Amino acid sequence: MRILLEKFSKSFGSTKVIEDMDLDVGSGEMLALLGPSGCGKSTTLFSICGIHRPTSGRILFGNKDVTDLPSQERNVGVVFQSYALYPHMTAAENIGFPLTVRRVATAEIRKRVAEIAALVHIDNLLDRRPSQLSGGQQQRVALARALIRRPDVLLLDEPLANLDAKLRLEMRSEIRRLQKETGITAILVTHDQVEAMSMCDRIAIMKAGEIVQIATPSEMYNDPRTAFVAGFLGNPPISFLKGTAEQGEFVLGDGSIRLPLAALSGMPDGTPLMLGVRPEHFGNGGDVPVTGRISFAETQGRENLYDVMFADGSVLRSIQPVRGDLKPGDDVRWNLDSKAAFVFAEDGRRL
Amino acid sequence: MRTSRTLGLVMIAPAAIMILLFYLMPVILTGVFSMTNMSTATGISGGAFQVTQGAVNRLRTEMPEIADAISEPRFVIDEAGIAAVEAAGLASAIAAELRTEHLGEVHASRREAERMIKALKERPSTRQTKQISDFFNRSVINTRFESREALMEGLKKLGVTLTPEQQEAMARATYTGWVWTTDNFRVIGNSPDMAQVFVNTAFYVAVTLLLFNVGYALFLAVTTHYMPATTASIFRAIWLLPRITPVVIYVLMWKWLTWDSGFISMFMGQFGHPPKNYLLDSAYNAWFFVILINGFIGASMGMLVFSSAIKAIPEAQFHASEVDGASRWQQIRYIILPQLRWPILFVTCYQTLSLLASFNEILLSTRGGPGRATEVWSLAAYHTALQNYTGNLEYGLGAAMALVLVVIGVILSLIYLRVFRYDTLISKPLIED
Repeated sequence: MRILLEKFSKSFGSTKVIEDMDLDVGSGEMLALLGPSGCGKSTTLFSICGIHRPTSGRILFGNKDVTDLPSQERNVGVVFQSYALYPHMTAAENIGFPLTVRRVATAEIRKRVAEIAALVHIDNLLDRRPSQLSGGQQQRVALARALIRRPDVLLLDEPLANLDAKLRLEMRSEIRRLQKETGITAILVTHDQVEAMSMCDRIAIMKAGEIVQIATPSEMYNDPRTAFVAGFLGNPPISFLKGTAEQGEFVLGDGSIRLPLAALSGMPDGTPLMLGVRPEHFGNGGDVPVTGRISFAETQGRENLYDVMFADGSVLRSIQPVRGDLKPGDDVRWNLDSKAAFVFAEDGRRL
Repeated sequence: MRTSRTLGLVMIAPAAIMILLFYLMPVILTGVFSMTNMSTATGISGGAFQVTQGAVNRLRTEMPEIADAISEPRFVIDEAGIAAVEAAGLASAIAAELRTEHLGEVHASRREAERMIKALKERPSTRQTKQISDFFNRSVINTRFESREALMEGLKKLGVTLTPEQQEAMARATYTGWVWTTDNFRVIGNSPDMAQVFVNTAFYVAVTLLLFNVGYALFLAVTTHYMPATTASIFRAIWLLPRITPVVIYVLMWKWLTWDSGFISMFMGQFGHPPKNYLLDSAYNAWFFVILINGFIGASMGMLVFSSAIKAIPEAQFHASEVDGASRWQQIRYIILPQLRWPILFVTCYQTLSLLASFNEILLSTRGGPGRATEVWSLAAYHTALQNYTGNLEYGLGAAMALVLVVIGVILSLIYLRVFRYDTLISKPLIED
């Protein structure tokens, strides 16, 4: 089912959290709301499921305006960050709760709980209470509870934040599998770009209550609209150099590096600029050689990560296949791929 | 190691002494007193031996002849009596004649003795006869002996000799001090008055607890939970007032309300009802007000405990249940109440004990009246041991009643733990990752 937010605003008292947001999530699509803490992504999610009421604007599920409907009547499934399982109920009772409160017959509840439990692989844990389950198992119970009444919309609020690294990887693909199998429209709130990129069809990246860019993960990675977006996606993250435009070239602060860039043609000299270079586009071939000194080296097993510091103190990150010949303090002359570099105006706009 | 252990004992000593003095001793003493027949009559120190009519009655079943013998006055003409006659300044011939003619005679009654005295040569007047007969009165009835030996000596003079067993029975029957006994519990078990007080107590505790200390408190806690924070705290503060108000003043206000010149009487007077004391008018009214007074005071604690317990439930659970489709009522039933099991157990337990033990509100309002309609166990114990209408304060019986209360409290607590399945509340989780 399609979810549509029109001119959606939400304030708490005099604090405006979201202002005039428009968002369109297609039927069967999984969308990530990605952003740092306090950007309003959870507020948006809670407004969609009806825990918060919008201050103004409309929320539509399909063609139905749900703006003024209480949560109970919206038919949404929510997985909370803390899972919010009811500690006094068994896993089966937790999962069946949405049906219990609808007075579905006990036999029917038992049947559907068994079905959904099989889907999330917890059929052998149904008699346990949440305190007797591990984090990953609790997560699956929460998912099952959200899915059991076949909601129109599945909302996930940082569902993986409380899991350890290995489980997180496992649950990432698990949630995506369930979403695809059920064909449900889903919104995932997260501050983890890897989660957003690996699980979702599209990402809406948020900052200070506004959506900065909506795109597919690869579009967003390869074509960020602002420096904020570029900085948010990618691990290890992109690094920025501060400089100015001069005769179609990017000139680093002290002039020690000059990069000819097509994007800068016709730009007045002296315009302050920011250059964003992802680690894979430095030291792995490219067209412009630059000289610096390795200030930090770290091995990640398959790859090595280097920080290269230039004369003016600015730093570029480089990720390369493992090699053993370099250590901090060594001088290097590596190529930079100028075609893959992003140029941003001083205010962060992509040029 | 040794030093630190000694040091630990030294450190704990003040606390241990406090525990012994103020926690254990009252209970132990209650237990000790409950096994005695201490009362105002017996005193709490030792007693004396006195052949009262009551003692004679007690003895009559065991040894009727002796009981009859000691209950009769005896007049024995002996040297001590004659010496007293001489000292009284009567005609010396009287004493002389008594010594020579009558020494050693025992007369079974005053009349017999006085007939003999009247027949003396000196012919004493009636008044003198009475005076002289008194000197020879050796009756034990209503005489106080400081020790058992003195009692036996007195009996011997009287001409009553007893076997050791009989002496034992005699001593027991005539002792005026307190003795060890289990009679108190027999009295409690057999008296219909006690049974009535027991029923009163059960009614009072059950109704106050269910309707107010738990029921009303739960109602307040749940309703304030759904109120905005400020409104909720204002309401909670208001509901705390009865608890904060000094109980004497609080009960006095209820009395003002219910007196025959009080608010209710005045109000009902508008409709032509004659004024009356609504508090003590009937047993129903008395119970109604007693339960209201205690309930309003007692509900505040439950409200606070339940409110904070509801606050402790993570907000996400309320959000989740709303999203899951639960109405308010379903939220209360499925989310709040099950998670209040432990607080409810705690409040039920605690308030049962405090309702069983406290009687100050009842004492201040109805004093157990009208009649003994609102007399509860603890109040009855108080009345028995400390504030008796007849003036004979039965400490022993009162202590036994208090002990019964302690036992009932312990039994009820165990039952509650069972009913609320305390073991599952503290069961170990089986987390496996």
